[in-house]
Amino acid sequence: MNGAINFTYGFSHGVEWGWPIAVYLLLAGISGGALIIALLVRFYKKQHEDTSLLKAASLVSFSTIAFGMVFLVGDLEKPLYFWKILINYNFASVMSIGVMAISVYIPLTLVMCLYLFEKEISAVLAKKAQLLGYFEMVMVLLKKIRPMIEVLSVIFAVIICAYTGFLISVLVRFPILNTAILPALFVVSGLSAGTASAGMVASYFFKEDAHSPDLKTLHTIEWPIMAVEIMLIAMLFVSLLVGNEFQQSTTIAFKSGIYANLFWFGVMGVGFGLPLVLNFALGKHVAHSHAAFYLSGMASVAGVLCLRMFIIYAGQTFGV
Amino acid sequence: MKNDGKRRAFLKVLGLGSVTLGTAGYSVAIEAGKTEKKPHYGMIFDQNKCVGCSDCEVACRKVNEVPQGQVRLYVENKTAPETPMEKKYVRVSCQQCEDAPCVAVCPSKACHRDAKTGIVTMNPDDCIACKYCIVACPYDVRFINHKTKAAENCNFCLNTNMAKGKEPACVESCKYKALVFGDLNDENSYINQILQVKDAVRMKPTFGTKPSLRYIPVVKVGV
Ligand code: SF4
Ligand code: SF4
Ligand code: SF4
Repeated sequence: MNGAINFTYGFSHGVEWGWPIAVYLLLAGISGGALIIALLVRFYKKQHEDTSLLKAASLVSFSTIAFGMVFLVGDLEKPLYFWKILINYNFASVMSIGVMAISVYIPLTLVMCLYLFEKEISAVLAKKAQLLGYFEMVMVLLKKIRPMIEVLSVIFAVIICAYTGFLISVLVRFPILNTAILPALFVVSGLSAGTASAGMVASYFFKEDAHSPDLKTLHTIEWPIMAVEIMLIAMLFVSLLVGNEFQQSTTIAFKSGIYANLFWFGVMGVGFGLPLVLNFALGKHVAHSHAAFYLSGMASVAGVLCLRMFIIYAGQTFGV
Repeated sequence: MKNDGKRRAFLKVLGLGSVTLGTAGYSVAIEAGKTEKKPHYGMIFDQNKCVGCSDCEVACRKVNEVPQGQVRLYVENKTAPETPMEKKYVRVSCQQCEDAPCVAVCPSKACHRDAKTGIVTMNPDDCIACKYCIVACPYDVRFINHKTKAAENCNFCLNTNMAKGKEPACVESCKYKALVFGDLNDENSYINQILQVKDAVRMKPTFGTKPSLRYIPVVKVGV
């Protein structure tokens, strides 16, 4: 009897959460991904010195999440009321949980930066003896808990990547978003963009040789991450394809229209195709060149941005 | 409620005494609720009676000061093109879900369930306009009010007509008695008497949010 009556009118205007949210999702992904990768490399290789990779990753993770907050808060229609979230906590809301996680995560990334840029900061403070004294005192304390901070950073970095997925996967009106795969996809694509960003920053700003052991490691794990990412996207598509009437109707997003172009050219072409071509199809000479290194890194990041845009826009366009 | 007490103490410390005014009524209501059964307000839209005059829309906008170009309540024309003479209209508005996703996702508790009446309503001062509730609502019936810059939904005129002991503006204004408002927890209420004799459905029940609006659809019984 329920087919007997229905309404199709809605009060929202298409995509309510637009590109600033997509950019925030990208930046949060890069931030978490870069830190996870760099710290896992450190744990795995049992490194004790401060590597360029970790330096780059700490800087990237702190600056991207801080910049991301600008987009997140800026997208509110009442940005100056942001503090209301902090006093009216709703533990059932993924957004509240996310804000809580962010308020732990940002200080963690900041402390990671302090560890890795201690020398630089001391040099800046050298003229102000008193400040330098305080700074050194704080660092003595902080250094004692460094192993714990590093482990916590990895845990919270994963939480940050995953929560951005849960944030939008709870939206039942949108079949593309309302899937269990989304948080996993966000973690993996975050890793992919984070790896690329950390690698590029390490090489450009901290003069890490593109063929150094650490960057070689990144280069090796880049491909399995990409493979998993493609697999998750394929799973998402198949689950929609074999789903109910509403889920099936959303597969059009992959097939025609502007979002299909964004998906096939942006996500598949630039994000996956370009790095693969640069690294494997054009011979060793091109693959080992500087230009290819940066181009392929930027293509990965751009691809993940396209993925976030596709999910945000196509997701909210094809509702039930 | 323990939490609420703590929060109030915390706010007092901050010197934000005025904010506590809102929560004071809250705990009183909870205590009163222990003795008498809490109400569960619902509404029936009878498609057989609605003529699509949109008087209800007009009344709602006026009573609740909804800005121009925006609505809490919309009457959609669902007349099938093949049968233009068989007019069909449907009320589009907040379905007052018992398991309301908008309340669950709101990070600032601006979108909340009124403790006394159980009605899903909003506190515009706490809303940060993040639009999370708007994308989370399965019925797409929330919007950011241009004037208050806060998310809004049909709350059965909780702060306007109901506060004055009147029925919601739409119900009052409908000349054709297509709308019935009442307490579903009261066995003797008119709304329950109607539900006992008529076939009513919930809109899109598969979302599992247990809406409190009931629709009596036009059904032809080929005589
Ligand atoms: S219909 Fe939407 S706005 Fe109304 S209670 Fe349900 S989820 Fe909330
Ligand atoms: S827009 Fe306002 S009412 Fe809606 S979830 Fe955000 S803070 Fe809550
Ligand atoms: S006032 Fe009554 S008859 Fe007119 S549109 Fe509203 S519900 Fe229908």
